[in-house]
Amino acid sequence: MSLRAVFESQPGRRYIMFGGKGGLGKTTLSATSAFWLASQGKRVLLFSVDPQASLSDIFQRDIFGKGPVPIMRNLWAQEVDADRRIKDYQEEIRKKILDMYGFDRVPEEIDDYIAAASAEPAMEESAIFDAVVDIIVRGDYDYYIYDLVPLGHALYYLSMAKVYDEWINKITHLREDMKQYDQVAATMRREKASEEDQILKELQYIKARINASSQILTDKARTAFFFVVVPEEMIILDTLKAAGLFARFDVPISGYIVNRVLPPDLGRGRIPPYLRNRIAMQEKYLAEIASTFGDAVRAYVPEMERDVTGLPMIERLAERLFAGPGATA
Amino acid sequence: MAEAGEPKRKKGGVFGVFKDIVYGMSSHEMARHAVRTRASMEHLFILITMGDLLGIPILPPYYSLRLLPHVTPQIASWKRRMLRERDVTDVLG
Repeated sequence: MSLRAVFESQPGRRYIMFGGKGGLGKTTLSATSAFWLASQGKRVLLFSVDPQASLSDIFQRDIFGKGPVPIMRNLWAQEVDADRRIKDYQEEIRKKILDMYGFDRVPEEIDDYIAAASAEPAMEESAIFDAVVDIIVRGDYDYYIYDLVPLGHALYYLSMAKVYDEWINKITHLREDMKQYDQVAATMRREKASEEDQILKELQYIKARINASSQILTDKARTAFFFVVVPEEMIILDTLKAAGLFARFDVPISGYIVNRVLPPDLGRGRIPPYLRNRIAMQEKYLAEIASTFGDAVRAYVPEMERDVTGLPMIERLAERLFAGPGATA
Repeated sequence: MAEAGEPKRKKGGVFGVFKDIVYGMSSHEMARHAVRTRASMEHLFILITMGDLLGIPILPPYYSLRLLPHVTPQIASWKRRMLRERDVTDVLG
């Protein structure tokens, strides 16, 4: 089944992700798919939360931290500034403390704690996935294409999400027990029970957010996750490993896209041995990809004569990638 | 609660005083125990959400920050309780 057939036969899958090692062409494929979907009349948001995102590069304009920027008809691109988001979040917490208690300034040790929290390694992952939830729950678009899902981040987050979930369940339980003691004391003193526990409400909110973010990655009805590979031994091995790990966390893998395929007729002319060897090597690994991933391969993407930047080049690639039903470019 | 309780007490008179005495004799100790247990739990709760404040890295900072404003007033008494020295009178008390 081609990439086009996947999109056409599963119109419910609106969260599209391309994963894989760095430099394999995830951004190129995200942008090309976004371009094609937009040209089919769908409203598409292509977004990235990675500080090293290359959406600005591929569209040749600075969109970092500027919210959804219109690129063409039906297509918007957004690069989330995760650092900025963490800073804003910390500021929000400080402001809440000041508002709640009418302090002039946040007590020093509390402020230190807020500042130190941003240095925690889990902070960034949580902030990133929280940003993704924010973008997606708004539901302004038909398709969300999440560029550059860093494999490590996603796996780390998914495993954290499970631990978080149990942790939240435990403390929610503790909080409920505390509420019972409150009620017992209030009843004995013939007082009215205390007001609603704000913390319990926060815990429920946190639980919902964590579930929503891990669901975006694992929702079989709405998510399509594609791995990008190139015909090279290490990449094939790494992808197999990553696919195994992702499958364990129930990420719905919708197929593999083989990028950087040298044109086969290149080998026909008189070419230097270096190039001949590269082509022979590639043929070997293409055969390996075919036997390893079989019909889960959605497309073979040719190596273009120049790098893919700018809309005209993206359009050319989209024409080849999505040509006619059933085509594999 | 205060507005609802106030006029009642005035009307109650002797009966009200009698009710308070009964409460003092029977339930006061239990109520106090419930309040104290509740306070211990509050401290336990802060420990598992804000452990980092004492250098005990416990779970995820992004979300625990959301809870911070709600426990801010209790942080000082919690820290005092966690860090104070303990002796045998604690057990007896």
